[in-house]
Amino acid sequence: MTLRIRQPRAGLLLVPAYVLLALTVVAPVLVVIVLSLFDYDPLLGTADFVALDNFGRVLSSDEFGRALVNTAIYLILTVPVTLTASMLVALGIHSLSWGGTLWRNVYFLPVASTLAAMAVAWRWLFYGGSGVVDATVGRVLGVEDWLHSTTLALPAVAVVGTWENVGFAVVMFLAGLSAVPPQLLEAARLDGAGAWSRFWHVTWPALGPAVVFTLIITTRNALKVFDQVRVMTEGGPVNSSTTLSYLLWERGIRFLDVGGGSVITLVLLALILGVTAIQLGTVGLRWERAGTR
Amino acid sequence: MTARVVTRQVLTHLALAVGGVVMLAPFAIMLWTAFVPERLVFGGAGLGDLTLENFRIAVRESDWLRAYRSSVIVAAVTFASQLLTCLPAGYVLARHRFRGRSLALGVMFGCLIVPGMVIAIPSYVMISRVGLLDTIAALVWPGLTSAFGIFLFRQFILTLPQSIFDAARMDRVGEFGMVWRVVLPNVKPAIAAFGIFSVVSSWNDLFWASVVLQSSANATVPFAITQFADQEAGVRYGAQMAAATLAVAPLIVAFLLAQRQFVRGINLNVAD
Repeated sequence: MTLRIRQPRAGLLLVPAYVLLALTVVAPVLVVIVLSLFDYDPLLGTADFVALDNFGRVLSSDEFGRALVNTAIYLILTVPVTLTASMLVALGIHSLSWGGTLWRNVYFLPVASTLAAMAVAWRWLFYGGSGVVDATVGRVLGVEDWLHSTTLALPAVAVVGTWENVGFAVVMFLAGLSAVPPQLLEAARLDGAGAWSRFWHVTWPALGPAVVFTLIITTRNALKVFDQVRVMTEGGPVNSSTTLSYLLWERGIRFLDVGGGSVITLVLLALILGVTAIQLGTVGLRWERAGTR
Repeated sequence: MTARVVTRQVLTHLALAVGGVVMLAPFAIMLWTAFVPERLVFGGAGLGDLTLENFRIAVRESDWLRAYRSSVIVAAVTFASQLLTCLPAGYVLARHRFRGRSLALGVMFGCLIVPGMVIAIPSYVMISRVGLLDTIAALVWPGLTSAFGIFLFRQFILTLPQSIFDAARMDRVGEFGMVWRVVLPNVKPAIAAFGIFSVVSSWNDLFWASVVLQSSANATVPFAITQFADQEAGVRYGAQMAAATLAVAPLIVAFLLAQRQFVRGINLNVAD
């Protein structure tokens, strides 16, 4: 490819970044498509073309179906709670006349900490019987030993995911809130609008872009969940907390099923791009229209 | 302030404190258990029982200095390489019109929306073919450049006034000098934010380390703590919490020292 640039040397400045992007992103994305069509053995270095066999094998397996359902459940358990809780926390912090920064930092601390290590701590909190969760929440709800339960292991992992992501969303919403024009809120108040009415008609529409953006990022984070699954449950018991992203690693790397792992990679890629596109097309567009009403 | 306003402020503080307890409890319990003797981790320990024994076990069973060193090397090489490649590219994309520019921008956006997990298996195959599994080189490989970095620097450079570039051109500053002597000093806030984002991302990464590492020889901090927790599963919770404390400490301390910069940097998180 020849680039015509006013100063001949300027084009050279693009070369390192783009060569590396080609090698580390573009080439792997193309290679993963090829690998999904082969039975590749990384130990022997042999590859047999098997057409769509990997797709048939993986997509029809119980393990894959389970992971797909778990990923959907994880998404439903984490994203709405994260967004609602963060919105309440952000509105609270925003309304304070002093001490707001302290609270922001408290809620942000989990975002800044190494999740793999905190998942080890959470595993201890969820320890069956005498762990803190069983001794408090467990007593109230009448449940125990979440990590060894096929129904509660996934919710336990979702609790950690929510705990980790709230602070990120709080900071996004605080930035959005500080951009709401105060004279509009004041005008609404003088017109006799109550607190809820002011939120719904002034604050909420102005927060639109921040909400859409945070929705997209938290959804992506949920689809990529790995650390706490790896540390706390290893996908168990009996695959009850295996998500697609964890299955990708377990199949493709731990069990060296390169073809199968590549199929899961393509499904995950399609899912992430598809969900982002749908969110932009529905919520994103509605907000754009709402902004002009 | 009226009494009603004060009451509302106090109630808001209280409500935030309730949530804050949930946010901080894992840290508090981790720290407490780390300093309590193993036989008392299930309760009954008082302040007089506190001990460093768990930390002795954690340090004896796993080489934390080596893990810190690996993580520091990976984070430093990653950030240096991203700065060296992304800043020039961001500059050219912001300030030059050339044939292929929209293609270059398209490639950048395309790479931006592809999640990092997608490259794991093909990159694993490539790295194993060249015999570099389980090395520092393998750990830094996918982060040598960053589509997000190019994007961020380009956006920032677009906002700079044209006059500083014109003035430099009058002084016959070449393109190379333009990047490092004109752009660099003007984009320091962007570099600081991106630097924190980059270092925190590579420091915390468990997924890629789990793809390319096979032994503890080059274990990074998240990989080392995961290995340790696997070995100790079901036993010695005190030692596990001591190890977890050692693993989270560096970033927590850094965060407490530079809270505002951290919040800005980490919340750049638009791509992986």
